Amino acid sequence: MADVAVPSPAALDSERLSVESMSLPRLALRRLFRRRSAVLGLVILGFLTLVAVFAPVIAPYDPELPLIGIEDVKKREAPCIHALGCPLDRPQHLLGTDGNVRDFFSRIVYGTQVSLFIGLTTVSASIVIGTVLGAVAGYLGGWTDNILMRLMDVVLAFPQLILAIAIVSMLGPGLQNALIAISLVSIPAYARVVRASVLSIREQDFVSAARALGASDAHILFQRILPNAITPLIVQATLGIASAILEAAALSFIGLGAQPPTPEWGSMLGAERNQVFTAPHLVFFPGIAIMLTVLGFNLLGDGLRDALDPRLAQSGVKVKA
Amino acid sequence: MTRQPLLGRLLSGLALASLVLAACTPAATPTAEPQPTQAPEPTAAMPAFEPMKYEAPNCDYGGQFKTIEAVDAYTVKFSLCSSDVAFPAKVAFSAFSINDSAYLESTGGTGDLIEKPNGTGPYRLDSWDRGNQIVFKRFDGYWGTAGIPETVVFKWSAESAQRLLELQSGTVDGIDNPGPDDFAVIEGDANLQLKLRGGTNIFYLGMNNTYPPFDNEKVRQAFAMAIDRQRLVDNFYPAGSQVASQFMPPSIFGFTQEVDWYEYNPDEAKAMLEAEGVLPGFKTTITYRDVVRGYLPNPGVVAQDIQAQLAAIGVEAEIVVMESGAYIDAADRGEINGFHLLGWGADYPDATNFLDYHFGEGASAQFGEGFPDIWAALKDGASRAEAADRYPFYVTVNELLKQHVPMIPIAHGANGAAYKADVEGGYASDFGAEQFGRMNPGGRDTFIWLQNGEPSGLYLADESDGEALRAGEQVMESLLAFEVGTGKPIAALATDWSANADLTEWTFTLRQGVKFHNGADLDANDVVLSYVVQWDAAHPLHTGRDGSFTYWSGLFGKFLNAPPE
Repeated sequence: MADVAVPSPAALDSERLSVESMSLPRLALRRLFRRRSAVLGLVILGFLTLVAVFAPVIAPYDPELPLIGIEDVKKREAPCIHALGCPLDRPQHLLGTDGNVRDFFSRIVYGTQVSLFIGLTTVSASIVIGTVLGAVAGYLGGWTDNILMRLMDVVLAFPQLILAIAIVSMLGPGLQNALIAISLVSIPAYARVVRASVLSIREQDFVSAARALGASDAHILFQRILPNAITPLIVQATLGIASAILEAAALSFIGLGAQPPTPEWGSMLGAERNQVFTAPHLVFFPGIAIMLTVLGFNLLGDGLRDALDPRLAQSGVKVKA
Repeated sequence: MTRQPLLGRLLSGLALASLVLAACTPAATPTAEPQPTQAPEPTAAMPAFEPMKYEAPNCDYGGQFKTIEAVDAYTVKFSLCSSDVAFPAKVAFSAFSINDSAYLESTGGTGDLIEKPNGTGPYRLDSWDRGNQIVFKRFDGYWGTAGIPETVVFKWSAESAQRLLELQSGTVDGIDNPGPDDFAVIEGDANLQLKLRGGTNIFYLGMNNTYPPFDNEKVRQAFAMAIDRQRLVDNFYPAGSQVASQFMPPSIFGFTQEVDWYEYNPDEAKAMLEAEGVLPGFKTTITYRDVVRGYLPNPGVVAQDIQAQLAAIGVEAEIVVMESGAYIDAADRGEINGFHLLGWGADYPDATNFLDYHFGEGASAQFGEGFPDIWAALKDGASRAEAADRYPFYVTVNELLKQHVPMIPIAHGANGAAYKADVEGGYASDFGAEQFGRMNPGGRDTFIWLQNGEPSGLYLADESDGEALRAGEQVMESLLAFEVGTGKPIAALATDWSANADLTEWTFTLRQGVKFHNGADLDANDVVLSYVVQWDAAHPLHTGRDGSFTYWSGLFGKFLNAPPE
């Protein structure tokens, strides 16, 4: 890969020395922090996490409260920032107000909570189900494998978003149903990754050894094989959160996801889509927020993949040899 | 994906096959045999005209019609069970446009009748590319003033920003309902012109009284006090809109100065709801369709503000968005629990268009059970010839509506249409019935109109959405028409009309030499059958798109031979 830094011989020497004395996770972390893009991803996500956790402190207004009759503001007002010259007698709204005269900044801030929640819950749910399915399929093989994997192929045969829309239309619109739909459609990705790892790991000697010692199938699968198959799953999950957030935003944009007045970025974009010329800030900022979050997860995911991939590490050593 | 697994392939094959099947089915339906009626073949043997006559056994069935008969080839007589001063205005309305009787029979009252309307109007349907556009061509055999542009194209987009963008970029000649925030943009653009409609509409918050706690009049009255209508109009409606004091818009007969709505009083509303045991802990829904209409320019935003207003008195309301057609159908069938956002634009300038349609004896189940005291007052109001005699009954109706609160009237929304500056004769009809044949699109031979939505069908008897009516009105004509500007009934397919003294017998003399687009001649039997298939619920041609014929029952009461409820 072009972006793999080629360290100086001296640095590599010291790395090889330390490599031998380091555990795998620490090694991976160290490789991760060497990547500027991964660090940027981590910084973005760290920032977003802080915003989500401290949203009640950061947001100056209730994100769901129309300010009609409470303050002298109109709907869809442009941002008013006192530090940037907005008259002091005007109430400060960092990102302006939306069509319902709610503080847009507060809604964006609270939207972080919703988006991170969506990403984490959907991916956790689909990881659990996907891992079990993939592990069982890979370990047992035969017709179990065939049935499970063909089932996954069927799900994969539909475009993810279209399938999610179909599921939500069936279950009825709402954030909870959107989460279920997104989880369901992302299961095959995890099942396939886990199955592939399990297939290669189950042939290794330590598995045969465990079997020879009389360990049960469940023990071998969950105690021996899975912990060793986790690496690709972490990468897949990190990238998966990004696409889950995007899909949830898309569902909300077309009105199938989070329902008003929940401050969800996708639905905020959708609600103000007709104001793209008259009040561009109302579509600009949720768009930026979605982009930033997805970018954060993608950068981190790419970094993790590089850091956790043993082949890339070897190639680094080969340079010197 | 490079490798397509077997099962995946099988499934996609199945899906494809079902799609193909679905696409083929409608083509098969129109072949259904048209049922024989008592009408003779009108075009078969030319000489003898056999006049049709339909008669109700008596007036007890609850509808307004007694007989509909062809007196001779060019005279039609309607006998009514009760007098009706608005009868000319009603027959001028496009839901009662005239079809060729042979075409009605050949289509079985549905199918092609909905997709390929055959009227007498200045334009004929050339093609309808579902999901994309409808193309109308000038009809050369038209009896009246020929349309100016040779081709009129209807397109649609639900997004006001897109409509404006297409108008600015010049790909369309006119758009309906520019977004309220865009009014200033259009007025400031020398290439565009803005035409306003006069708020001849009503936006209301409906409640269905068959679902508890909305079956309790006190509860409905409490909600009437809980909604700050002024705040909705001030914040979310364009300039020129008015807060509604009643269901009737001020510019239309039937508006009564004497009646004013409840004062906004959330504290008292809350206390009343608590007294009735509804609060605390009441959860409900606010249902709407996400389409812009003149009466509701900001549906999503208004729904959310009403949600916030209800939250302020402790009512938790979930917002439900439905597809437009499904929403109207569900509302008419009385299936919507909770609040629903709906409105009405005038079709003709009379109280009957607003009040009888919604609250008359034949009204849909939108508000649940009807109110017999309102029915009686409406009947009295429609049966007097002089406006001064009718007026007191509408005061009563509006007072009763305030007492019963089947809905909360909120706003009369200002709205309009915008055209390119070079369009001559561009106007915005107060009744949403723009005739594009009257407009000259800067000398171009095609006029392209961009409205909010695609018509569900063009058999206007079974449509109630303005998007469908406007498109159908380019093709179809009624006995009378509305004068542009005033809305007064004027001659169209009928040249003369008269009534007896007590307004129960109406005779129309048809224009001679009028041709339908399929070449058939207009005669009195066409008029009789066009009315009868709507009137008689047992008629084999009483089918339509979904068979609800809401305008008929709304304006003329119950159907003849209506199935028992």
